[in-house]
Amino acid sequence: MFETVAQAVINGLLIGGIYALVSIGVTLIFGVVKIVNFAQGEFVMIGMYISFFLAHQYGIDPLLSLFVTMPVLFVAGVLIQHFLIRRVLGPNDMPQIFLTFALSLLLLNLALMLFTANYRTVHTSYSDEAFHVGGLYIPEAKLIAFGVAMLLSGLLWLFLHTTDLGKAMRAASQNRDVAMLMGINPNRVFCVALGIALALAGAAGSLLMPFYSAYPFVGQVFVLMAFVAVVLGTLGNVMGALVASLMMGIAESLGIQFVGADSGQIVVFGMLLLTLAFKPTGLGGGRAR
Amino acid sequence: MTHKTRSVILLTVGIAVLVALPVVVKSSFAIDIFIRILLFSFIGTAWNLMGGYAKQLSLGHAAYFGLGAYTSTILEINYNVSPWIGMVAGGAVAALASLPIGWLCFRLRGPYFTIATIATAQALMLIFLKFRDFAWGAEGTTIPNLGAAPLMMQFENKGSYYYVVLGLLLLGLLITWLIERSWVGNYLVAIGEDEDAAEAIGVNAPKMKRDIYMISAFLTALAGTFYTQYIYFIDPATAFSFNISIEAALVAIVGGIGTLWGPLIGTVLLETTSTLLQSWLGSSIGGIQLTVYSLILMAVILWRPTGLMGMIEELRQRHAGRAPARA
Repeated sequence: MFETVAQAVINGLLIGGIYALVSIGVTLIFGVVKIVNFAQGEFVMIGMYISFFLAHQYGIDPLLSLFVTMPVLFVAGVLIQHFLIRRVLGPNDMPQIFLTFALSLLLLNLALMLFTANYRTVHTSYSDEAFHVGGLYIPEAKLIAFGVAMLLSGLLWLFLHTTDLGKAMRAASQNRDVAMLMGINPNRVFCVALGIALALAGAAGSLLMPFYSAYPFVGQVFVLMAFVAVVLGTLGNVMGALVASLMMGIAESLGIQFVGADSGQIVVFGMLLLTLAFKPTGLGGGRAR
Repeated sequence: MTHKTRSVILLTVGIAVLVALPVVVKSSFAIDIFIRILLFSFIGTAWNLMGGYAKQLSLGHAAYFGLGAYTSTILEINYNVSPWIGMVAGGAVAALASLPIGWLCFRLRGPYFTIATIATAQALMLIFLKFRDFAWGAEGTTIPNLGAAPLMMQFENKGSYYYVVLGLLLLGLLITWLIERSWVGNYLVAIGEDEDAAEAIGVNAPKMKRDIYMISAFLTALAGTFYTQYIYFIDPATAFSFNISIEAALVAIVGGIGTLWGPLIGTVLLETTSTLLQSWLGSSIGGIQLTVYSLILMAVILWRPTGLMGMIEELRQRHAGRAPARA
């Protein structure tokens, strides 16, 4: 019994690292630019397809393709902010919501047209390897993914707390008007926020590729998790999103273990609805950090 | 000719054309498209009450479409109740369900309200997938074909279905028109513009949002019953399809959010585009319809946030020249 629980917790924690990369992106954009990026999951999907094609055409290991997906998606994020999102920032919610939503629909259906609904997988030398610790089974690919995800999250934390640009981003998320009065260029800060968020989504895609299939709808799985984690971890709070994502990975995995294989999503929605009912400001309280 | 008489004449001609359409057009392919247009106009009209006037941007209206579809089907198959009664019962179930769902979702504003509505619709779909005892689980079920049985909402020719959905659309438009010209409409628009300001001048925003959500849910459920009767089949993936939620919002935004005719005009544009695309390219390429829809949606948001109705209004004002604009 203990081993089953421990195994489920480990499985959940490892996948929770990937959820964290996606949710940190969502919460960063929400904190700084004050919009919800409905298309965040589609950028995970794009990261996966880039890694897949690099592996398929040139035999590049998906982990190495991190160095392609992250810069490519960073640039994509800057362009999307500069040419699309910047035009709809204003007091009215409708254009902001439906612009990123339309982007999500567009990318998803373009992928469906270009790549069909087939599942694409990459097999690496470590895809089937695993460590055995005690009675526990730890898949190597997932452990690497988790490690890199935590490393990237740590680097982001350092960036936000030690660099001028990072501090400017945190300032903009705390109080945009005052930050602008202090001479912070909002569009530049927003471009960087979008770039980082999309780069993290791209990283999640590359990290997933050794043990997860790419298909056009794959982003939806991760973005729903991210939205719940972001509410749970208090909107705009990076650390909160990280912790909530790990918790949700564990909750989902325990749900799959003890309730049934298809109940992972029910657990997630249950957590969202409970959060909304009892703690709509998230577990971290009302403050964004 | 005053503005009012012109409107009345236009409206009468419009309705006459809509009523005569299935008598003149015999192709069942064409009537099928007309039915789709009327159905999605109706769903869009229901969405528009809440999403357009009060700007509560739901992407979870499939929840009520599905509840309506399942209520009437369960009543028909298990208890032999006519879908006409089931339709109203479905509306009532949806209206009741909108209370707890609204209670949860209205705690959040803006984009997170939208996400919460998506999540509740998905959660309902999962429930119907999982519990096969009362609702046939993932396989769904077919509606027994009784031939010509108007009392059970089954007809032998498509024209009759056309009139049913036309009636629904006229009901939706009538309700919208009544709300639009009453104080309720003004309150909703005030909430949509700025909820805090509306509350400050004495609008009971939570109550208004709850009530309009109930009406919107009720109407959407009627569409669910109709659709199930029309295609003789129900399963959770069709009844609670995310595409229903998307299209409800899409037709209203493209046509003109918060306007009486917006959803109808938006649906005509989108469905015509989609039909033309399918006849040119064939339906073999998956995803093409939504690719085009999302491009249209982006274009509207970036360049014409008032939608087609805004464009029509602009053209009319230009046409009227220097005539004073109506207040």
